[in-house]
This record gives sequence, C-alpha cells and structure tokens, in this order.
Amino acid sequence: MTKKVFIFDDNTDILELCTLILEDAGYEIKTSATSNAIVDQVSSYMPDLIFMDNWLPDVGGIEATQELKSHPDLKHIPVIYFSANNDVSLLAEKAGADSYLSKPFDIQTLEEMVNSHIGR
Amino acid sequence: MINCKALVIGGSAGSLDVLIKILPAISLDITFPIIIVIHRKQGTDSLLSELLATKTALMVKEVEEKERILPKTIYVAPSDYHLLIEKDLTFSLDYSEKVNYSRPSIDVTFQSAAEVFSTHLVCLLLSGSNADGVNGLIAVNGYEGEALAQDPSTAQVDYMPAQAILRARIDQILKIEEMAHYINSLS
Repeated sequence: MTKKVFIFDDNTDILELCTLILEDAGYEIKTSATSNAIVDQVSSYMPDLIFMDNWLPDVGGIEATQELKSHPDLKHIPVIYFSANNDVSLLAEKAGADSYLSKPFDIQTLEEMVNSHIGR
Repeated sequence: MINCKALVIGGSAGSLDVLIKILPAISLDITFPIIIVIHRKQGTDSLLSELLATKTALMVKEVEEKERILPKTIYVAPSDYHLLIEKDLTFSLDYSEKVNYSRPSIDVTFQSAAEVFSTHLVCLLLSGSNADGVNGLIAVNGYEGEALAQDPSTAQVDYMPAQAILRARIDQILKIEEMAHYINSLS
C-alpha cells in the first residue's frame, strides 16, 4: 500500500518540487500552504508522515505540531520539522516534532529522511 | 529551418510540470544550449536544478555569474536575479528592480538573448499566470528569431501563452507532447 506524506509549507515552489520528487520515489503526496484547521486537514488524509514548515499562515509550525502531537488519534504520525532557520533543531524540539530537516536540502537528503521514517 | 544557437524557455505557474514531461525526450545530440527561466521563490534553486537533472542525461546546472554558455547544456536561472546574456556568450546576473513583478523576468532574458542571438534564437513561453515574456517574444520577433508558445489548451494556467498568442507573432503553437520533437528538430 502506498505510503502517504502530507507537506505543510507556505512556499508553493517547495510544495511543488517536493511533490514531484516524492511522487517519483513512490509516495502519495498531499500539500497545504496553511495550518488553518490543522487537525481537520490531517484527520481527513491520515498520512504516514508529515513535513511541517516553521513559518505558516494562521498558527505557526510550532503550534500546529503541538496541536497534532496532543491529539490522541494523530500523535503517532511522525512529524519532520523543516526550516531555513539556524535553530531548526531547537524549534523542532520545542514543537515536539520527531526530527528536523534544514533548508535548503537536496533530493537525496529528502528521500533518505522520508525512507528512514516510512521507507518500504 | 532556423539555425538555432540557443533555446530559451520561460514559464511560471504550471511550467515545471511541462519541463518534467519534455526533458526526458530531448535528444542528447542537440547542438545548442537550453536556458530555462521560470518564476519561483527563493530557497528552491538547487532542488529545482537537481530535479530537472533527474529527467535528462544532458548537463543541468544553475547559472553562475560570468559563466560561459556552452551547447548541450541546460542552464537554470537562479531565483531573485535577472538573467542576461552578454555578447561574449557569457551570462550575467542582475539584481535590478523586478520586471512584471518578477525576478528573474522572462522578458529581460528573452530581450537580452534576442540582441545576442538574433535570427538564431528560439524562445518558448510556457504556462503562467502573468504576461511576463510576452514583450520578450515581441523583441524576438523584431530580431527575426523564432517565437514559440505552449498551446493554451494544454497549459495549467493559460494566461501567459494566451497573451503571447494575442500580442506577439508566434511561429509555432505547441502542445506539450509536440515540444520535445520540435526542439530536437532544431539541431
């Protein structure tokens, strides 16, 4: 069964590129440029993995991740926090994310990160 | 048939998908460089070049300042700089004001390429949501280069190629599935 990845980022170019790359790698992708109604968005897709950008309209990435990690039905879904911020590891820790990815990243790093969490 | 010395491809929203589809079918024997100018935000440069490189065995690289333009190479304009072509066949990157709210501006590169390659230039305008590139194609018309546009009916966002067809003299209107064959025929 195809594993599903949900990517949250307000940079639509990042969303488009990551979608093309991860679809090529055999994953199903959904994207969103807003964290509005984050629980509803994630609940309706039930991904196997989430990428969460630090800067998002509505609530930021930290609050959105905290909301997901405190939800009984969603907290098991691994969240990779990604950001160009130098303190991405601290931000990820504060958010309660499972791991982090520094921007910019290359294709190999992106694929390895996904494979390490939900690789087939 | 034009003696093509350079192909410049411009696009905005919906154009990456077209590039992904046509690059695998572009011949490794092309005799000219392909220069790609697509609108995008900062922070995706290396990822874009890397992704395009997975679709072709031709060399794909992001343009560097003063780099010499070589055939059989696909050059990608970096984000946030206008990409100009100099008469000595090198690139220059320019941080002047945005044109059509865009940097890189497709108009700037088409115009610059037209001045250098004149009748040996082919420019292709893809899907997009503003009219950047249209004035550039009109400049290509003026230098008697070849102006191409994506068939708007095949574009995710048809405004850009539709404006080109309305305002410039378009030599060929191409569906996505016709593009690679046409590009290969330019060698």
